[in-house]
Amino acid sequence: MKKNNDKVDNFIDMSFRSDTIQDPLKMDNSIASNYRGYITLDPAKDFILNDKIGKILENSCPTHAITYQNNDDSKINFDNGKCILCGNCQIKSPELIKITNKFDLAKKRRDDLIETFSMSAPFGKTCDELGKELKNKIDKIFGRSLTIREIDAGSCNGCEIEINALNNPIYDIERYGITFVASPRHADVLLVTGPASKNMERALKIAYDSTPNPKLVIAVGACACSGGIFGNTYATTGGIDGIVPVNVYIPGCPPRPQALLYGILMAINKI
Amino acid sequence: MNYKEITKKYYSELEKFDSNLKIFENNNELHLTLSDPNQLHGLCEFLKKSFDLRLLTIICCDEQKLKAGFKIRHVFGSDVDDFFLFVISSINSSHSYFPSIYDVFPSSILYEREINDMFGLIAKENPNIKPLILHDFPNDIFPLQKDFKLNDVVKRNSKQFEFTPITGEGVCEIPVGPIHAGIIEPGHFRFSVVGETIINLEIRLGYAHKGIEKLAESMPLDDVIFLSERISGDESVANSIAFCNAIEKIAQLTIPQKAKQIRLLFAELERIYNHFGTLSGILADIGFQYGASRLNILKEQLMQLNEKLSGSRILFGVNQIGGVKTNITDKTLVGIHSVLDDAFQNFEKILDHLKSNSSVMDRLRNTGIIEKQMAKDLGLVGISSRCIGIETDARHTHPYGYYPSVNLKQKTPRETMEHQVELQKRVGDVLSRVMSRVDDLRQSKDIICSIIALENDGLSVSLDEELTPYSSGLGYAESHRGETLHWVMIGEHDSIFRYKIRTASFSNWPIIEHAVLNNIVADFPVINKSFDFSYSGNDL
Repeated sequence: MKKNNDKVDNFIDMSFRSDTIQDPLKMDNSIASNYRGYITLDPAKDFILNDKIGKILENSCPTHAITYQNNDDSKINFDNGKCILCGNCQIKSPELIKITNKFDLAKKRRDDLIETFSMSAPFGKTCDELGKELKNKIDKIFGRSLTIREIDAGSCNGCEIEINALNNPIYDIERYGITFVASPRHADVLLVTGPASKNMERALKIAYDSTPNPKLVIAVGACACSGGIFGNTYATTGGIDGIVPVNVYIPGCPPRPQALLYGILMAINKI
Repeated sequence: MNYKEITKKYYSELEKFDSNLKIFENNNELHLTLSDPNQLHGLCEFLKKSFDLRLLTIICCDEQKLKAGFKIRHVFGSDVDDFFLFVISSINSSHSYFPSIYDVFPSSILYEREINDMFGLIAKENPNIKPLILHDFPNDIFPLQKDFKLNDVVKRNSKQFEFTPITGEGVCEIPVGPIHAGIIEPGHFRFSVVGETIINLEIRLGYAHKGIEKLAESMPLDDVIFLSERISGDESVANSIAFCNAIEKIAQLTIPQKAKQIRLLFAELERIYNHFGTLSGILADIGFQYGASRLNILKEQLMQLNEKLSGSRILFGVNQIGGVKTNITDKTLVGIHSVLDDAFQNFEKILDHLKSNSSVMDRLRNTGIIEKQMAKDLGLVGISSRCIGIETDARHTHPYGYYPSVNLKQKTPRETMEHQVELQKRVGDVLSRVMSRVDDLRQSKDIICSIIALENDGLSVSLDEELTPYSSGLGYAESHRGETLHWVMIGEHDSIFRYKIRTASFSNWPIIEHAVLNNIVADFPVINKSFDFSYSGNDL
């Protein structure tokens, strides 16, 4: 038996402010620096992508969020929709993986959650993405109040804890004109969590049909985005987009309240 | 008494029942193999009469590959001794019967229904063999049999579930769920009411069934820990400790003292933030928003502390097999103590406010009363049993991890007396459950504050050798809901052959059907919240 050495960690500031956060979407000291929010390949590091590194990364992920393609141009695909933020990949290859406390990860298309890193393409945003962002910002003026119905389609209740936290005095979502309502018939948005268990499939469909048009569906958490750790089995359906059309995907396991807020604002084009 | 002496005591008593029993000892587990399953009923009566044992769980395992047919393990435990009794019987083929023990241990009904769903074995004489977990599932497919593959596509039939019909003059039915009005998990409640009063409730769960037990069999050992954290998001530490315990027991691994301390710290932090959340929910359900918001702030404070310590607001990714991943230093320990001091100062103020508010106390008192005998028969654990004076706590009966070394301040005779008087007031209503949670909270704080320095012997040890195939172990932990049991049987090449999970929620859910009787429909949310069971932890 060998003993692993203690990691030296820095002093952690434990201060807590019990007043409402001024602007939850601003990155400030309300989010701990060691919070596991967004996991990516460290673009600052020079590395040569080879089969060995690719395989190590691929095998380190329990939910198969990292895939390695070995064509003419070797690529690493990072699927944020599958990532459960366990941090296993960083333990296996600490020199390549960087864990940040970024939370603004919600995307409108499932494919946008998948990031590709290759030796030839530059890191960062492309012109196309910047253009899209600009368009979304222009849409800002169409903001309106919003009612949300939360549907648990078989989640582990981690996402529910964070959605409940949105209603607490610290995050206080009601000040944006957003309220949670008791019935899908009163709702503009369905906030769906869980990998959509087969037993909830029918209920989810009925709830979607009872929601008046126009309506939006937001998939919350790795499970709702892709099935997460539960995948696609006899009991689950592997993501809710197989059952109902999805407008915004919020990855994370679970996504923190700020990430939820970011995703909800994105759904109504406020971002 | 250590477990060797305890097992010897039971061993000699069991020989009186039948001297031909095959008995095998494994740590604090006593395995007893029955040659004929029909002996089971007599043995159970003997166990209940002479030792007053509780039925903890019934584990079924498809061992046809090993030429052993199906094995059914009835696990019993005592409220005083740190030992588990496994009664093992073999059933040769599927579609066959095994004896039901519902008339001795009524709590067995649920486990027998679960086995019927997942393995196709039928408990003879069980009065209720309705499907439990699987909905609209064909009658000839059983997910936990070994020849069923995880990704097999199952065509669901469109059969309607039959609720027990309640009829009579003026009786109405109110169906609720699976999607509820609040932000909670899915489950269906079928109320039968006369006017406002509930005369019957039938609960149908299983909506959150994700196939966790089957899924674990396809995963490498190190990944299953992530799965165990996601059995129920708010019990992540307790469940992963129970899983690690099981594996460490099988591997005979002793983990460093520091790792034990850190596990204890996180387990208690988890208990604290969840109890704050539950108390807040209870107050929200009776319409006392001020108190609910104040407690929600405390919960948020604890969750931010979790985040600073572990990188996850609900403590995912703390444990690993052989120790912990997250370090706590003496410096951060001081920080934890100061956050708790601050939070509990506020908490006591809120509590005083509640106690002096008659409209709050009136709603809580005499609402959702449960009876002691009922609690015993159903095998309740955790807060649900403590609220009626049955002390079940895995931290005391089966001391694990660092709990045996925790030194709490001895109570003075006066304090003990006051505590006894306080306990006498517990009648199993919502208020009793609130007060049990308050006790639990204060105790958790004392436990954390009793740790003033951390040992210095590393965070984890690693498994060096491959585990012996087909060896098994029972892991346990006390979550904020009660005793959690994880039974693991190892397969070849460090895979998992069978992973049976029994959370506190599973054994406790049926009590709600009894607690709501003669209450009004409007009190159901607060009764439900006062128990605070996990749907996901029940459905797996």
